[in-house]
Amino acid sequence: MKLRWNPIVKKDLQVAARSMRLSWGLFAYEAVLTMVFLLALAIIQQVSGSFYSNGNVYGRLIYLFPVLSIAQVCIVALIVPVITASAISGERERQTFDIMLTTCMSPFSIILGKVGSAVLRILFFVVAGMPIMALAFVVGGLSWSYLFYFVLTIILLSVLSGSIGILCSSICRRSITAVILSYVFYFVIYVLTFFPMLLEYLFTTGGWMGESMLFLLFNPIIFYEEFFMQLMTGESLFGVEGSNMARNGVGFLTYYLSQGKVWLFSSAACIFILAFLFMLAAAWKVNPMHSSSGRRRKK
Amino acid sequence: MSLCDSIGGSMLYINNLTKNYGSFTAVNHLTLHIPEGDLFGFVGPNGAGKTTTIRIVCGLLRASGGSVRIGSTAAAVGSKEMKRMIGYVPDFFGVYDNLKVREYMDMYGSMYGMYSRDIAKLTDDLLELVNLSDKKEVYVDTLSRGMKQRLCVARALLHNPRLLILDEPSSGLDPRARVEMKELLKNLHSMGKTIVISSHILSELSEMCNSIGIMNRGQLITAGRIEDIMQQISGGKRIHIQIASGREIAVRILKEQVGVEIESVRENEIIILHSGTDEEISAFIGLMIQNQVVLTGFYREEGSLEALFMQLTGGDAQ
Repeated sequence: MKLRWNPIVKKDLQVAARSMRLSWGLFAYEAVLTMVFLLALAIIQQVSGSFYSNGNVYGRLIYLFPVLSIAQVCIVALIVPVITASAISGERERQTFDIMLTTCMSPFSIILGKVGSAVLRILFFVVAGMPIMALAFVVGGLSWSYLFYFVLTIILLSVLSGSIGILCSSICRRSITAVILSYVFYFVIYVLTFFPMLLEYLFTTGGWMGESMLFLLFNPIIFYEEFFMQLMTGESLFGVEGSNMARNGVGFLTYYLSQGKVWLFSSAACIFILAFLFMLAAAWKVNPMHSSSGRRRKK
Repeated sequence: MSLCDSIGGSMLYINNLTKNYGSFTAVNHLTLHIPEGDLFGFVGPNGAGKTTTIRIVCGLLRASGGSVRIGSTAAAVGSKEMKRMIGYVPDFFGVYDNLKVREYMDMYGSMYGMYSRDIAKLTDDLLELVNLSDKKEVYVDTLSRGMKQRLCVARALLHNPRLLILDEPSSGLDPRARVEMKELLKNLHSMGKTIVISSHILSELSEMCNSIGIMNRGQLITAGRIEDIMQQISGGKRIHIQIASGREIAVRILKEQVGVEIESVRENEIIILHSGTDEEISAFIGLMIQNQVVLTGFYREEGSLEALFMQLTGGDAQ
């Protein structure tokens, strides 16, 4: 069977590649990354005294990796929703979406194409930032495979951010409203996943947390904390073999998920499932055969 | 026989189609069957329900009731099978910046699951058909509106649909572009394509279409061959008889004829409504000449679609 590009990915990449926005975006991305790199380097130098002192500056240079990675994660988390939040609403504003829906592409393929093109565009940026990232590796202490793992997590984050953006885009008629709604969704996922824990903490006695921590599996902030913790120290946020948590202080599931790297992989799976559900919801929303009564079309 | 009855060999079957937006009924129990190979004009004032009907047929809107079928297939509206049978040209043509005509065609061809090699070959043929061969490497957003509309028709034909649906294809086009679009559609019709056009430009429809359907307030008022509808509505052919002398004799002869109704008698002209055959007309004209009536002219008035439309829609402004 011949593998074929999703036509929307192909078109979006073609259109984006010819636009000045991609060049300026790439320039801005590299500029921000370089500034973060120089700032982090300056701080490391200050902390370690100077290059000629006895301070172990080389040992500390490996911290450039999490610093630069977190900078990239923040940029990606901010720009992907902007790209995808205007994907469907933008097609509607251009009045090209109706034609798209009359073709043989299913609404889910359209959504997948839109998220796919956003992820690929983000990968352009991430790959372009690799030489700067690689500077953290020249002094040793870090495995080159970490770069690969990092790219995988960026893809995961892009898929989640993209799916949030596309869902908002399918709900809102206007791109700007979709972008704002995407950030509201972010807030809900990033902040409100801590709420069950807070409620357990406030309303239960004896420090019993139950399974309220499980909601954090969907939180990308906790995912990245755990990722860098595992990479830099080999330990988990929850301590070696979940030693930071008393066996009788948390629920059964939470305890076993906090062992070794299980939390990291479980969290990745949960984030992916969440992204998939968002994409399914977006596909449902844009499918004209599923809308309850339709809306009168303004000429 | 009206188009509502002609089921045998029909391409598009719309049965009892209804679309409600809350308490507002946009399409009210519409039943229409369009024969294969027809160039069908969908006429009606703004808000009559034409676009809603077209959008339901194309799978862009869910109907509140009724059914739509194409040819003999039992595919559901919005299914891939149904989409393969329809080529849709919307009233407004949106474009992508930085996309060439060839790439535009390639993208839509891929969306129908076609392979690039087949798309490239068909693109050449279709661009030639719509007279855009020299624009293959031109960016779509730099084309004129007329060219974009013709490109949109080429795009809609890429997957060789059985039914081509155009929603107001001439709106916003200059006279030259309209003529080009009309010629293109006539050309496609002569190739055997079944075409449905919704339009406000009645003169254009009357020149192009062989059948029409008139909608008003969500209901189909009438549908059928243009000439049949004209005949049915006016109740007969209006005939002008111009006379130099012998007016009284002419009036007497006409009054004696069965199926002739005198509409007006002027000094040199008598206007009659005749529901009979052409042979009967030639018989009473011959009789007048035999009775020394001097005729200077004689012609049959052609009914206009505008007049018919105004009559049927009760003069609703478009």
